[in-house]
Amino acid sequence: MGYGAYIFVVVMAAAVMASAVYALYWAVKTGQFQQFEKGATAIFNDEEPLGQPTDHFPQKPKKP
Amino acid sequence: MSSAESSFLASIKPSTPAGAAEPALLSEIDASTRAPVFFFLCCGLFWLLLGTAFALVASIKLHNPGFLGQAEWLTFGNIRTAHLTSVIYGWATNAAFAVAFWIMARLCRTKLRHVGVLGIAAFFWNLGVAIGIGGILRGDSTSIEWLEIPAYASPLLFCAYALVGVWAVVAFRFRAPGHVYVSQWYILAALFWFPWLYSIAQIMLIFAPARGAVQPLVNWWFAHNVLGLWFTPIGVASIYYFMPKVLGKPIHSYYLSALGFWSLALFYNWAGVHHLIGGPEPAWVISAGVVASLLMVIPVVTTGINHHLTMIGSFSRLKDSPTLRFMVFGGMSYTLVSLIGSAMAVRSFNEITHFTHFTVAHAHHGLYAFFTMVMFGAIYYMMPRLTGREWPSATLISVHFWACAVGITIYVVGLSLGGLIQGWEMIATTTDPQTHEVALRFPLFIDIVRDMIPYMVSRSVAGILITIGHLAFAAHFAWMLLQPRVAAGAQPARLSPDSAAPRTPAYE
Repeated sequence: MGYGAYIFVVVMAAAVMASAVYALYWAVKTGQFQQFEKGATAIFNDEEPLGQPTDHFPQKPKKP
Repeated sequence: MSSAESSFLASIKPSTPAGAAEPALLSEIDASTRAPVFFFLCCGLFWLLLGTAFALVASIKLHNPGFLGQAEWLTFGNIRTAHLTSVIYGWATNAAFAVAFWIMARLCRTKLRHVGVLGIAAFFWNLGVAIGIGGILRGDSTSIEWLEIPAYASPLLFCAYALVGVWAVVAFRFRAPGHVYVSQWYILAALFWFPWLYSIAQIMLIFAPARGAVQPLVNWWFAHNVLGLWFTPIGVASIYYFMPKVLGKPIHSYYLSALGFWSLALFYNWAGVHHLIGGPEPAWVISAGVVASLLMVIPVVTTGINHHLTMIGSFSRLKDSPTLRFMVFGGMSYTLVSLIGSAMAVRSFNEITHFTHFTVAHAHHGLYAFFTMVMFGAIYYMMPRLTGREWPSATLISVHFWACAVGITIYVVGLSLGGLIQGWEMIATTTDPQTHEVALRFPLFIDIVRDMIPYMVSRSVAGILITIGHLAFAAHFAWMLLQPRVAAGAQPARLSPDSAAPRTPAYE
């Protein structure tokens, strides 16, 4: 394996590191680490609201 | 430039402001992902069944060496490798793609764009896997663990994967306004990490091979990171999405989930070299790997506690939700397998478990009991929403769950125990009371091999159970597709909001 390949590998590793650092910077800048309580509810909406369990075995009556 | 082409480019124009796409209904989003996700799932299921068959043959050969001994393309070295390749690159990766894109599209709150591109990538990925497995059975394996796919198939796999990764970035970039959920972090990161791992490993091991001590380092950096930086993030992302979704309550601590993500990103990359403890490597590299492996306790315990505290008060839901049942089994396995993994990286414990069946048990514990079970749970949730059909049989779901859960438990317990005995027998010594001479307690290696036969049989029994589970799943999957669709406009029964059920106020 020549020096060229090693240089490529090191540059790629640096690029991955840099993208991770940038992602962290972006997350802080855009407020991803604020309002954790609200972030956790991001998966719910009017169609599948908070407090509404989903997924049941087919043909089994749901327990109230 | 044709108008179709220009509208294609316009729809992915980089100058469009991020997070400004048109929000869509969940049913529309699910429908937009249908074709590629369904294709990934069908391919995944095919490779799962094929990989299971390979696994059974390989397992039987270990206690019955003459089994299928006449076929040279089915020798242990070929079939074991074909098993690994079909379950890792065939089943697990296809399932991960399907689940990742389905979750990603929903969390981006907008329809998936140009799914045809994803379809092309999916086709070429699976073509690459097929060529790879064919090559391995022909005897073209590269003999580098986890990278056995011959060099004539791997560039195809890389390009297909890169296209999938780019499409995840496009999906994310053109999302509708709103919070970026923790699952999206995991999925995006995983789709970034894998092409990096794969391309570097290919270059440094196959196309311009590194020599000496660097070669095994790259090999195990890659092999371990495939688990930790590709499958683990997708598995954890799925649990973080489906568990609160099924329960209808948010994750216990969103703060812990962010901590878990960033600590995984920071520590995991270092951990792979613990596979080389005792090998001819610089001691500081191994020590760094051992330290990183122990630091992995932080993201694992964080995630485990978070899942457990989310489940508290809702364990009764395990009885009536197939998805939750698989997810919780997978989540608990994740905590357990990772803690065992950290312990295995400690030199004094590694001395016993290294080069034994314990490692094999550990690998299946992680990839099957954790990842595969989580993927099954996700598929049970996704399929009715993708196809508009109900799963036809509760019994088949139960058969699938219990056959796989009991099977993998027998597998892990049997091989872990066998591995510990094997490891102890290989290093145990006796001291002669008169002469004080130290000698091996088991000088004949064949004695140790013979002692392992019952554990090898237990593995085949576990394999048969798991096969039964997979056949039940595949039959159920096919049966579901033959069902009539639920009438247009109406959702399948178990998906519709149940007005009779009170909302659970437990989290408030």
